[in-house]
Amino acid sequence: MKVRVTNIQRFSLHDGPGIRTTIFLKGCNLKCPWCANPENLDFKKTEYYNETTMEKGCFGYDIEAVDLFEDIIKDKHYYKMNNGGVTFSGGEPLLQIKALEPLLIKLKKENINMCVETALQVSTELVEFASNYIDEFIVDIKILDKKMCKEILNGNIEMYNKNVELLISKEKIETFRIPLVNEYTLKEENIKNILEFLKKYKVRKVEIFKIHNLAESKYKSIGKKMTKFSEVEDKKIKEVYDKIKKLNINVEIIKI
Amino acid sequence: MQAIKNFIIKNVSKTFLAYMILVYRYNRKYKNILKTLIFSIKALFHFYAPNKKLLKGTQIRKLFSKVKIEINEEDRFVYNIDIFKTIQRDNRIMDNVTVDYSKILNSSLNEMKKINENMKDCDYKNGQRDLLIGIEEYIDRECKEIEKSNINNKEKLIQYLKSIKDKKAIGFEESIQRILFFNQLLWQVGHGLNGLGRLDKILGDKYEQDLKSGKITRQDAKDMIKDFMKIIHQKFWYKSNVLMGDTGQIIILGGKELDGSYFCNDLTYIFIEAMEEVQLPDPKVFLRVTDKVPRDLMELSLRCIKTGIGCPLFSNDDVIIPILIDFGYDKQDAYNYVTAACWEPLMVGKAVEQNNIDSIVYLTPLTEMLEKEDLDKIETYNQFVCKYKEYLKQYIINFVKELNEITWEEAPLLSLLTDDCNEKLMDVAYGGSKYNNYGATSVSLGTVVNSLYNIKKFVFDEKEYSLKDINEIRKNNFENNEELLNKLKQQPIRYGIDNEEIIDLTNEITGFVDEVLDTQKNRLGGKIKFGFSAPTYIIKAGTSPASFDGRKNGEAFGVHISSDKPSVAYTELIQFASKLDYDNHRFNGNVIDFMITPSFIESNFDKMVDFLILSITLGFFQMQMNVTSSDILIKAKANPKEYENLIVRVWGFSAYFNDLPESYKDLLIERALKNEGKSY
Ligand code: SF4
Repeated sequence: MKVRVTNIQRFSLHDGPGIRTTIFLKGCNLKCPWCANPENLDFKKTEYYNETTMEKGCFGYDIEAVDLFEDIIKDKHYYKMNNGGVTFSGGEPLLQIKALEPLLIKLKKENINMCVETALQVSTELVEFASNYIDEFIVDIKILDKKMCKEILNGNIEMYNKNVELLISKEKIETFRIPLVNEYTLKEENIKNILEFLKKYKVRKVEIFKIHNLAESKYKSIGKKMTKFSEVEDKKIKEVYDKIKKLNINVEIIKI
Repeated sequence: MQAIKNFIIKNVSKTFLAYMILVYRYNRKYKNILKTLIFSIKALFHFYAPNKKLLKGTQIRKLFSKVKIEINEEDRFVYNIDIFKTIQRDNRIMDNVTVDYSKILNSSLNEMKKINENMKDCDYKNGQRDLLIGIEEYIDRECKEIEKSNINNKEKLIQYLKSIKDKKAIGFEESIQRILFFNQLLWQVGHGLNGLGRLDKILGDKYEQDLKSGKITRQDAKDMIKDFMKIIHQKFWYKSNVLMGDTGQIIILGGKELDGSYFCNDLTYIFIEAMEEVQLPDPKVFLRVTDKVPRDLMELSLRCIKTGIGCPLFSNDDVIIPILIDFGYDKQDAYNYVTAACWEPLMVGKAVEQNNIDSIVYLTPLTEMLEKEDLDKIETYNQFVCKYKEYLKQYIINFVKELNEITWEEAPLLSLLTDDCNEKLMDVAYGGSKYNNYGATSVSLGTVVNSLYNIKKFVFDEKEYSLKDINEIRKNNFENNEELLNKLKQQPIRYGIDNEEIIDLTNEITGFVDEVLDTQKNRLGGKIKFGFSAPTYIIKAGTSPASFDGRKNGEAFGVHISSDKPSVAYTELIQFASKLDYDNHRFNGNVIDFMITPSFIESNFDKMVDFLILSITLGFFQMQMNVTSSDILIKAKANPKEYENLIVRVWGFSAYFNDLPESYKDLLIERALKNEGKSY
């Protein structure tokens, strides 16, 4: 089965334990306004043109899932310490998880740790399927209010909650990851909801990060305009950090 | 008339040249015409070089007797170099060397004199005798000056110096003073780029003894080491070779033992801690590592690297030592290797191998071939490569021929401190030492690999261009053909990435050079080694025309083993480098060089330590990191005054960013931007 990939990033240090290779899969069912990977939103291949380097090309190529194995295995040596391995990211990687199955089987055989970085707003069937192979899930917490989640992200919070329940019961969530955006996720009500949520589902680690405007040239190269957001102050980040810390949860501020 | 001319060429000009170099170096540091003018007048009055008709050892004795001794009362140690006094040279002087300081600490001048007395009468013996007397006289003069001065611990310092005559060095502090004494002599007679050797190993016992007896504490030892570093850093403008900071003052730490265990001691840590604390670009530290290196030592090293001072550089004994033994060095010597000025393995105390003798420029024979051959007649890629090899072979043979035209200035001081010279009664300059190989470096290997790959792809496989046409465009420096230039530049399969074809091609080329060198000998009877990293990536590139890797006329070559592709993963680069062949003659320094931002290390510290340890077991040869960010470099270039202490890694040394020529600054900025995925 073929999957559609935009990038394979070796020496990836932010997407799970140890040293990893991250596979970016194309296509996402959400539309977060702050998305830093605009090239991964559309499942369709996306043409780009970089004005500065005059480089043009196309985001997204199709490849037999098992053929990704060769690239993943290249850094096998580096996976040896602290559960390094491969992470599927995107876009929303779970949308292509079934097509990835032959690869997942092969990786499992080789004992390579597998993570998925997901917004988890996909059908529970896909999540259930993925959990048979994936060792750890890194799950985003974005907007938890049902209506706003639908309106802003095109998400489905009920499905999300169900999926979280499922993965928690299987002890498969390694990390919750929270993007900090003044205009959305950092709204008081949402932070309150997030804290409640975290109280309920204690996981090993919570990572928080402020969104940045670095994707601007990427947006430009595919002919889209990036919505700019106000700078999240360090003070604000610290506040959220402290609130989570108070819940006795291991929280880390990361840079993405 | 001719006689006067000859006299000038033979005598005055060499002294004058030495004088001019001194003035140039002064101006390079202070960049102030008035100051330089005053300095040059002062230098004119003080400049001195003994009559070169005398035996070299006798000249050195005379030189030592004229050296002005200045005792800096602020310093803990005595260290004196009179920059206005030198030795005249008709030949190239041996540099890039580290003497065996353990021999100096565990012996005395009297012992050396005894050996000298038993030699049969000859110029070698007589020169050495005068040299030894000269050293003794220098000690006496230095002691007198100490006596007159107000320096702290006068008695102790005098005793330390006097004991050089007839005793082994005993204590830690005394040992450091003795190393400094001989080090100053090496600089004084002109042996630049000289390293310090395995100081943790050499000084380990002395440190332990003093610690146990309560004579010193750990902190005392660290303070002494810091003072040692500071004192040899003084006058670094004078010691620097091509660029400021390039002094070759390298301290080797750690290393594999004959039984396979890893050697390190408290001093290994203290040296790195001291380095981290003094924050000087020079001296530099080189850490020998193996798969058994303790994690906390790697953590400490990374913390030191994170400060941006560019070291320690890591050298992988698991890979290097077997190759050294295979090449023909004795096991004992191979396990005890140090380096010449940067990273070229050197058998300490047994060789004055000139490991930085010159650079092979792989691009030169390719350009020559493109100029001379009828390109229409080259029909396949194989033919193209074969032709290149023909030119490469001839280039290497000529390269060796030129090396063999170099004659070396006699070096009695190095001969005194190098094994086998006394037995052979032969100066190192004539092949007196145990090993007499030469070491070349090389540049533009990546340029040629990428060029060959691009030619294969665009000319022979995809047939987008004829060889003749593409060559015409190249010759025109890609003028009005940005499209092709970008295509060549952006072609993603290139040197530095983990691609089988590229790795095979690289090994094929270096393997070919290796075979050619196997048939060559140097004038001292030794072999010629080479390595894939070289200091000349800007200098040699300046006169090199455009190339098929998408490089325009004069643009810099790749730095050591690195990738010119933006944001190449570090693991990818290490995988590439670990699959290269370094055996036979190919071990004369092979350094992976990459840029990394301080914040990246900071936010991924533990994983970076994992990465380093795993990279050792993967099998890299040597590795150095340039810790800086494009933001800082760009600001520093614009406002030098605000960044006076900014240190960067250049080739095998660190330097103040402000001291570098603009071309080096620009290249660093370009590489930092590429590393950070920002377009350049
Ligand atoms: S879920 Fe991730 S990829 Fe999808 S829109 Fe949101 S941020 Fe972008």
